[in-house]
Amino acid sequence: MARALWAGSLSFGLVNVPVQLFSAVRDLDLHFTQLHEKDGSPIETRRFCAEEDREVPYEEIAHGYDLEDEDRRLVLTDEDLASVAPRKTRTIDIHAFVDLADVDPIHFDHPYFLAPSGDSEGTRRAYQLLVEVMRSTDRAALGRFVMRTKEYLVAVRVRDDRLSLTTMLFADEIRDPGDVPAGGRKPSKAQLAGAVKLIEALSEPWNPDDYEDRYRKRLQDVVARKKSGKRIRAPKQEPQPSPVPDLMAALERSLQEAQGRGGNGKRASGDNADDDGDDLAGLSRDELYERAQQADVSGRSSMSKQQLIKALSR
Amino acid sequence: MARSLWNGTVTFGLVNVPVKLYSATESKTVHFHEVHAEDGARIEHRRFCAKEDREVPYEEVVKGYEVSDGEYVVLDKDEIAAASGQRTHVIAVEAFVEIGEIDPVFYDKAYFLGAGDKGEDGYRLLHDALERTGRAALGRFTFHNREYLAAIRPLDDVLALHTMRFADELVPGDDVEYEPPEQGPSGREVEMADKLLESLHEDFRPKRYHDEYREAVLDLIESKAAGKEIVAPKEEEPESAPDLLASLEASLGGGKRSGGAKRSGGGKRSGGGKRSGGRKAKS
Repeated sequence: MARALWAGSLSFGLVNVPVQLFSAVRDLDLHFTQLHEKDGSPIETRRFCAEEDREVPYEEIAHGYDLEDEDRRLVLTDEDLASVAPRKTRTIDIHAFVDLADVDPIHFDHPYFLAPSGDSEGTRRAYQLLVEVMRSTDRAALGRFVMRTKEYLVAVRVRDDRLSLTTMLFADEIRDPGDVPAGGRKPSKAQLAGAVKLIEALSEPWNPDDYEDRYRKRLQDVVARKKSGKRIRAPKQEPQPSPVPDLMAALERSLQEAQGRGGNGKRASGDNADDDGDDLAGLSRDELYERAQQADVSGRSSMSKQQLIKALSR
Repeated sequence: MARSLWNGTVTFGLVNVPVKLYSATESKTVHFHEVHAEDGARIEHRRFCAKEDREVPYEEVVKGYEVSDGEYVVLDKDEIAAASGQRTHVIAVEAFVEIGEIDPVFYDKAYFLGAGDKGEDGYRLLHDALERTGRAALGRFTFHNREYLAAIRPLDDVLALHTMRFADELVPGDDVEYEPPEQGPSGREVEMADKLLESLHEDFRPKRYHDEYREAVLDLIESKAAGKEIVAPKEEEPESAPDLLASLEASLGGGKRSGGAKRSGGGKRSGGGKRSGGRKAKS
């Protein structure tokens, strides 16, 4: 298991549960390094004083804040900032329990897990108690805690039989959607009924494993092809569809199509082992491309949908 | 409203709805820039070639992916863009799912979707139908050259779009080592904990919480600008309560006497209170 990012205790009322904090997400993105084109050696960034034009060691760096109204720059030292750093209390202070349903996920920022710290029976029992009680009441605990130099507002809830902690945005960090253009006329009853039917026909159970990061895969593929000396060409952009003039007619035709497919959505075809070339026409270009990748079709990245279908049915 | 970040079309079935994307969140963290302590001048980050020990202009910098120790595959912008997909201005809905089934841990960054030109009626229809069915639309879209999975759901009168984390980016709960206690919590402990949770129960009112650290930093800037001296506060150690049942009882007992809920209610302000106390001591 990864190293704990923080250790302390979860405290509510007079109960303290010693816990450790772990990130609940992992970074699987491909990261690039800046290189000097000529010799392929890594680029280093060095800090220079703009005025003196000389390199400045890290210890000589302070924090600048431009006071706009006064047109002058304030220089704050680490010590200045330390004076307002929150007290490192080593506790997650829970001050309220709220109904999970009331907390819109737009407030959630970064997810973590909390694990009991140490293997004392008492700690594990207290942890287990919180898991059980919070799960049965569908509530989240709201609290504050300090990590590094910043204080966070957090929600603690139960996920995967563990306590999970999510840092939260403050209310003023969420924009007011009031100015977002929120659309036109209220739909007619028939339109709404048609759209509801279409949505239901295209509905599926949420299965997160059905979705993979195709971008990551494609980028890995680009790297692999480049490494073996192949040329990489950017795919042609497909034109953007234009808005439909008659919503009702579009809904009706969509519904016929969706029902014609058995109402089970197109994703199901990807999992279907009996699939053969005959069904390829029903796949999106992305899905075809993925298959072409598996089948190692050469030149696939520059193929059109029709060309992919042809290549795959050979 | 700020300018839209992206324009495109949401398609489901044969219905196309032109939309615009806006950011839904903005960090209010106070940002500083690096300055040279002795003269307050701006710090510049200059690029140097590690081998030649000389500054390198931006035009000579390329991006490399490290395939093995010290071995890089260099990709230019177009080659990286080749991975971004072909429909960079379309969100093709792949499926609709029950919103309640999506654990919020999958939501990464939040945006608002607004109606695009000639898409007003379609937007309203999609919004109302999603609201009626309690569903979210899932589809992929490309933003800043990267393809994302996104969930579109109604949020009050508008649509919210969340970029999604992929299943393999989430750490499974099983990876968090945890051995259940030999003896589970007793009925009495569960009952007491229930009571304690109930006594601390509140409605969620997000506006009540302020970023006290941000406020403290802004206060500090103000004092410093006014030429006041800054003094650092001391650290405190937490206490621990070993006996679970006794702690639960004490918490509830305290609730009757001086207000267990109130005590933690005070906790909401305590951080700021203590800090502002600290600041007072400075001036």
